[in-house]
Amino acid sequence: MAMLALQNVSYRYEGSTKTIFNDVNLQFEAGKIYTIVGKSGAGKSTLLYLLSGLDVATGGRIEYEGENLAAINRNHFRAQKAGIIFQSLNLLTNATALDNIILSMNISGVTGVDKKVRALELLQKVGISPEKASRKVLKLSGGEQQRVGIARALAHDPVLILADEPTGNLDKENEARVLKIFATLAHDEGKCVIIVTHAKKVTAVADEIWSLEKGVFRQLPVGK
Amino acid sequence: MYLITNALKNLWRNAGRNILIAAIMLAIITSTVVTLTINNAAAKIIDDIRLNLGSRVEIGQDFMEMRAAGLDGRTDSVHLSIDDFYAFATSDYLRKTIFSASMYGWSNTFCALRDDPSNPGARERGDGQGGIVLDETCKLISTSDPTTLSEFGTLRHITSGRMFAELNECIISEELAALNGIALGDVITLQGAIVTDKHYSLTVIGIYADFTDEYSNFMFMFNRPVSENRRNEILTSFATLISAGWETSYGLHIRNEYYLKNPDHVRFYEQEVRSKGLPITYNVAINQAAYDKVTGPLSGMKGAAFTFMVVILLLGTIVLALISFMAVRERKYEVGVLRAMGLARSKVAFGILAETVMIAALCLVLGLGIGSAVAQPIADNMLEERVAVAEAEDAASGLGNRVLFAQGQMQTNDKAAGYTPESEIQVRLGGEVITQIMLITLALTALAGVIGVTLITQYEPLKILRERN
Ligand SMILES: Nc1ncnc2c1ncn2[C@@H]1O[C@H](COP(=O)(O)OP(=O)(O)OP(=O)(O)O)[C@@H](O)[C@H]1O
Ligand SMILES: [Mg+2]
Repeated sequence: MAMLALQNVSYRYEGSTKTIFNDVNLQFEAGKIYTIVGKSGAGKSTLLYLLSGLDVATGGRIEYEGENLAAINRNHFRAQKAGIIFQSLNLLTNATALDNIILSMNISGVTGVDKKVRALELLQKVGISPEKASRKVLKLSGGEQQRVGIARALAHDPVLILADEPTGNLDKENEARVLKIFATLAHDEGKCVIIVTHAKKVTAVADEIWSLEKGVFRQLPVGK
Repeated sequence: MYLITNALKNLWRNAGRNILIAAIMLAIITSTVVTLTINNAAAKIIDDIRLNLGSRVEIGQDFMEMRAAGLDGRTDSVHLSIDDFYAFATSDYLRKTIFSASMYGWSNTFCALRDDPSNPGARERGDGQGGIVLDETCKLISTSDPTTLSEFGTLRHITSGRMFAELNECIISEELAALNGIALGDVITLQGAIVTDKHYSLTVIGIYADFTDEYSNFMFMFNRPVSENRRNEILTSFATLISAGWETSYGLHIRNEYYLKNPDHVRFYEQEVRSKGLPITYNVAINQAAYDKVTGPLSGMKGAAFTFMVVILLLGTIVLALISFMAVRERKYEVGVLRAMGLARSKVAFGILAETVMIAALCLVLGLGIGSAVAQPIADNMLEERVAVAEAEDAASGLGNRVLFAQGQMQTNDKAAGYTPESEIQVRLGGEVITQIMLITLALTALAGVIGVTLITQYEPLKILRERN
């Protein structure tokens, strides 16, 4: 069974006449990496907002593990199940990288681990040194901030990872590092990873590639 | 728990904004502490005065009013018996009565100051009706409660022996003792100046230093009778004075103080004493003029403190409300991020509330500390100024006072003469003020908190985050 399933999903922004999605049916399974590509303004971020429960479809339904996302406690869903990497990062810029991650773990109710140790490990994994970890986010570069955002999304070990342009600010080396992490998460740990991007390169690690254009999803062949 | 930790960290993260909020809160709390403690301390003193001077009824002949009513020529039935006074003192309206009386005395066994040392007490004068009487040489002053002798502790203090207590004990001034070589334990003898067959033998049990003016009353500016010299006063108990079977008609001048349980009941009390036979030539009244004079500066200060407190609280509340409104709006993004990470609305609100509470608690402690430290000097200053103004006004208006003489007594129309405004205030931070301040702080915190929470619950995380991008 699919982890996430879109059933006849339509979406239109409040007060706008433009339909972003119309009658979309899509399924996302555990253990796979999905990339969704589309031009700027195609609706990629909008899709992630719907999948993360930050927004609710105006038509049809999105199911998580068979349950209607619109009907369940979406705070709980975001805190426990989903790890979201925002295109605009959405970090607490006044707090340190470490505090951002520990706070996220606290919100998710992570127990049984030394949160600081785990946070530092995660940051190390995305290439952030302990020294930078205790700096205020404001004092990190764009790429570093993006990697903090990624570490934060993974901090509570979510089963679903929703990433919006996660490598937008990264150099080649760090991009490869991050993509490798995603691959490990999906293929070794059985998570469902959904990445939206307009960077074709990211599709290299994907198990399924979809293009989004004018509200229509079309599957593209892998390895193209 | 982590919400509290995070709130604590946020205090540092947003130090600038929080210092601003804390400064405003601290200013409000400190000035409220100061004004409230001053207000309460003044109220307490005024209450005390109201329970003493303010509930003290005097029954006496008011020559001004007698003259106004055309009664000043009347001499009939003006003498009340001691039993009458006892009857007036027995009333359910009264808390206590202090009996006091004075009488002119005469003695040829000791010499009064300014008397003729070679022939003490031997002067004679006309009685106004063709006869000759002996000139009085001293004044016996008595009270049933020596603690009410107001000059003791200020202008007079006992330098040897003790205050009178038992029957036939008295105390005298150092000057009188020195002039006559009187020592503690000596017995002095004297008799009434008007009715001469009543004798006293009083044991001198105490001697006091006397710093009062010998002739404080301006009536004696030119003519200074020996008996009016304050050094010649002989202080004894009321019981002693009346023990020789004295009656008011023998020149005993009774000036009791009747203390009401409830100062508002003065008219009921008057009805009662009238029904017990008090003639209309006697007045029954609380000395309102004196009460007003004594409490004037205090109640002025109390009013000013209260007004100031209300203004501060109003202005402070408005400013605090605005600042908290802006502070939360400024934190919109932070709220969006937390909500996006799955933190429930109520928990976000709790976090922000926790920050406000921490700031408020800190300000409460600091405000109580600073406020209680500066309240006393501020109170002293305010009261001092007001007392100075009141005294200047009093000195200016005193010139217009008239003096009346009747039946061997004199009165002025300034009933507050001899009273001075209360000029001491002890400001203390009591449990009552602390409770009130805590309630005010709680209200301020609630206000700031409610504004924060209301705003937060209106925010949709996605909208906030999109707005920012
Ligand atoms: N609040 C809104 N109200 C109305 N229209 C909106 C709103 N937010 C976004 N849109 C529109 O919806 C469309 C999809 O936006 P979205 O942010 O999902 O695009 P995107 O694919 O993520 O683009 P990008 O690659 O530039 O991030 C855009 O045309 C955008 O202008
Ligand atoms: Mg986007």
